[in-house]
Amino acid sequence: MSVEPEPVTLTIDGKEVTVPTGTLVIRAAEQLGIEIPRFCDHPFLDPVGACRQCYVEIEGQRKLFTACTTEVAAGMVVHTQNTSELAHEGQVANLEFLLINHPLDCPICDRGGECPLQDQTMAFGPGESRYIEPKRVYRKPIPLSPLVLLDRERCVLCARCTRFCDQISGDRFIEMFARGAGQQVAIAAGEDFRSPFSGNTIQICPVGALTASTYRFVARPFDVHVADGICGHCSAGCNVRVDVRRGEVVRVLARDNAEVNDAWICDKGRFAFRAADGPGRVTTPLIRERGLEPASFDEVLGRVAEWSRGARVAFLTGGRLADEDAFALSKLARVAFGTNDLDHRRAFHGGLAEELEAASALRVTYRDVERAGAILVVGLDAEQEVPILHLRIRKAARRGARVFVVHSRETRLSDVAEHLLCRPGQEGAVLERLIEGGAAGSDEERVARALRTAEGAVVLAGSLLAEHPLATDVALRLSRRLGAGFALVPRRAGDRGALRAGVHPALLPGGRRLAVASERAEVEAVWGELRSSEPGRNGREILEACARREIDVLFLVGVDPLRDVPDAALARRALENVPVKVVQSLELGELEPYADAFLPAAALHEREGHLTTWEGRSQRTRPVRAPAGLSRPDWEIFAGLAEAVGAPLGFGSVEELREEMEALLAPREVSERPTAWVGAGVPQWLDEVTLFTYPLLVDEGRLSEGASELKAALEEPAFVEVHPEDAERLHLADGGWARVRTGAGEATLPVRVSSRVAQGSVFVPFNQPGLEANRLLSGRFTAAATLEAVPGGGEGARGGEGIAGPEAKT
Amino acid sequence: MSARREDRGTVSGGFGATLKGLATVFRQVFRADVTEEYPRRIQPPPPRSHIGRHRLNRHEDGLEKCIGCELCAFACPADAIWVVGADNDPEHPVSPGERYAKDYQINYLRCIMCGMCVEACPTRALTLTSAYEMSFLTREDAILTKDQLLEPPAPLGTAPGTEEG
Repeated sequence: MSVEPEPVTLTIDGKEVTVPTGTLVIRAAEQLGIEIPRFCDHPFLDPVGACRQCYVEIEGQRKLFTACTTEVAAGMVVHTQNTSELAHEGQVANLEFLLINHPLDCPICDRGGECPLQDQTMAFGPGESRYIEPKRVYRKPIPLSPLVLLDRERCVLCARCTRFCDQISGDRFIEMFARGAGQQVAIAAGEDFRSPFSGNTIQICPVGALTASTYRFVARPFDVHVADGICGHCSAGCNVRVDVRRGEVVRVLARDNAEVNDAWICDKGRFAFRAADGPGRVTTPLIRERGLEPASFDEVLGRVAEWSRGARVAFLTGGRLADEDAFALSKLARVAFGTNDLDHRRAFHGGLAEELEAASALRVTYRDVERAGAILVVGLDAEQEVPILHLRIRKAARRGARVFVVHSRETRLSDVAEHLLCRPGQEGAVLERLIEGGAAGSDEERVARALRTAEGAVVLAGSLLAEHPLATDVALRLSRRLGAGFALVPRRAGDRGALRAGVHPALLPGGRRLAVASERAEVEAVWGELRSSEPGRNGREILEACARREIDVLFLVGVDPLRDVPDAALARRALENVPVKVVQSLELGELEPYADAFLPAAALHEREGHLTTWEGRSQRTRPVRAPAGLSRPDWEIFAGLAEAVGAPLGFGSVEELREEMEALLAPREVSERPTAWVGAGVPQWLDEVTLFTYPLLVDEGRLSEGASELKAALEEPAFVEVHPEDAERLHLADGGWARVRTGAGEATLPVRVSSRVAQGSVFVPFNQPGLEANRLLSGRFTAAATLEAVPGGGEGARGGEGIAGPEAKT
Repeated sequence: MSARREDRGTVSGGFGATLKGLATVFRQVFRADVTEEYPRRIQPPPPRSHIGRHRLNRHEDGLEKCIGCELCAFACPADAIWVVGADNDPEHPVSPGERYAKDYQINYLRCIMCGMCVEACPTRALTLTSAYEMSFLTREDAILTKDQLLEPPAPLGTAPGTEEG
């Protein structure tokens, strides 16, 4: 695969071009700027030659060839419609044929105005049809899911959508059905198109056969303002186009970027775009007088500065901040307030792996994953957490990579990967056995050998690995042993950027350790002397300190601890005890009773900025509209606050900010220290079962607010997933109800018995309707739990915290 | 220059020209006025003229012809038309087919009466009428909404500034 293919020279329309062997004629023509009409051809799908539109004449051949399936050959002489009458006639005839059954209902079709069939008929077509007989008629449209509508009349049977499902997402919900004029795209009766990638089929449909329910009759291409953005839903960093009509986001499309998302985005990125236009959005600064009352920015910032003068201040943020905001926050906390009590994480990796990720960028990229010979995925459910990475792993598997997953729950990679299921928290022990090579004849031995012998291996570690304090470092050590690439894959869009910027109690920008004088000095050279060289409190310690009243002012920037922190009780205690809470976000939500001041932030598509992918790639996102109301980009608010406390940050524009950022975030070498793995750290399982949780892709998260169609299509109500053997032991039945009890709380949930989950552990999604699972947690995403069957969900199903009684489900 | 010198010509030739001119004057004095006495006297335009305000038409069964396709808005060189499409309720359709116009507005402060929208309309839903009186007292009044456009225009002579208006 790494061998470069031989170059071949051929002639197209009298022009010579040299391309690698195996290139398709249509791609070679593109290089010359010659456009050949096509419908079924898509650069990221395998060629199929279904639509027959790209006919070209090849000298020495008796028939016309489809350019999208024909590979180049040395000395080939190709004539496209530009130089061959025969090719031109063939294309015109084919277009007339494709239009025979096409309803030509362009005025009501959502594709009208941006339709490849419309455009290419105008450019290459006959202009008139000789067909006067009645056309084929179907019921239209039929919903494939609450998101995707199918109009079979318009379909030209290019099979882009079915090939996408087959080759890219690997979930073959839709398929070509029947033959001839009756051929159509179909889905199994009673089945829903429940793929988290279903929206891509809409975008690649070259006609209006597949349309989005969210965009149905909403706008035309000339109505909308568009801007190139970056998706803010996860750390995948998908390149998107955001369409705004009259100030309201109406559509999100994927942009092609072969380095990042190819041509795909997940359905959350595509359909969850209404959060910033929702009724919960607050766009004026508020201050608590009698109630929360509107005020000017100056007034609120002045009051906040007053409150924090000489006070003990701490900053919590989540994964929403753009890189610029994170950098400004890091500087604000340290320079203006002299505190190191700031954090963005909710799982605490610590250790060398995190420092490495903070210090450098692009050590492992999408491309590395795509070309890897073997991939080890640890503690990561890629489809649910970083969906586009999931697609890349699948792409690699199609290219022959061996994929292994060490996780407590089988992921949707199961058809291409081998899973080593283990109880949560034990991943480190499994990795340790892989490092040692595994016992003879064991699965580990086989996996270790496959990883060792593969050409270019990659280890991808997810955030669930942080459940054991050293597990990420063990994963790092394994990757070193294998000579493999290593990446920590955070879930949220701002995670990596915040880590790089030093929104961290012990790390300064660029992963420089606060406690190491030489590294601190590099930052002090730019920022001036830092008041404190002691590492501060991490997110959990900040909340604990708040609960103990050891912090006076708590800044909550784009984070809602009540929902985000894996310990709802602690979050509540902290909010009740800290004297001053300053909320900076798009909305107040559940923080309304607590907030003493509110600072309205601009949404991602309302401001200039960058977001960093899990690889460390910083990508620019552009505004498509002005910030709503009085809201401002977060960094501007931080700059205003610094000004109000009399310690300006020193940047008046985003360019100045970036200049300083780039100076401090240039890649650095980090000396690798050996990690001490405490082998005895393998937990002894005394409790009955271990409950573990992570957020599913479509959940009750704030950024999915208003995405009713998406939720109708993909959101599942809360459940508890139990291994069949555990279910038998605990007398739980599939479809029955179980009371799940942990040290923090209890909940009654419907049971799913499935061998997808590791024995001895039960899975509960983090934030599905019916349960905010953080009420069951005390600081970690795992907890010892007991389960008991609740007959018919009977009495006692209520009570306690976070209860989802069976009544609530009906 | 030489031509002008010749024009002056003889005295008699010059006087003849003057008489000719005066004859034209007297002939016009006794002709009827061409000027319209608008708005004191309001002349209805020829019956098939399409020179004035738009109208959204209906089918004979009462359904709206407009399907909300926005082609008129696309064709409009003055960006005077605003259309929002929506899904027809199959039980109570507004127009035949899947789509209808939920909102339809024309801003007559922008409209230049070029008729491109009418040409673009695929269902002949949008036509021009002969109601040429386009005077408004406020900017808001100059934006006609869908219910106004579905109605026939007000009779001539009722616009602000005319005697009845």
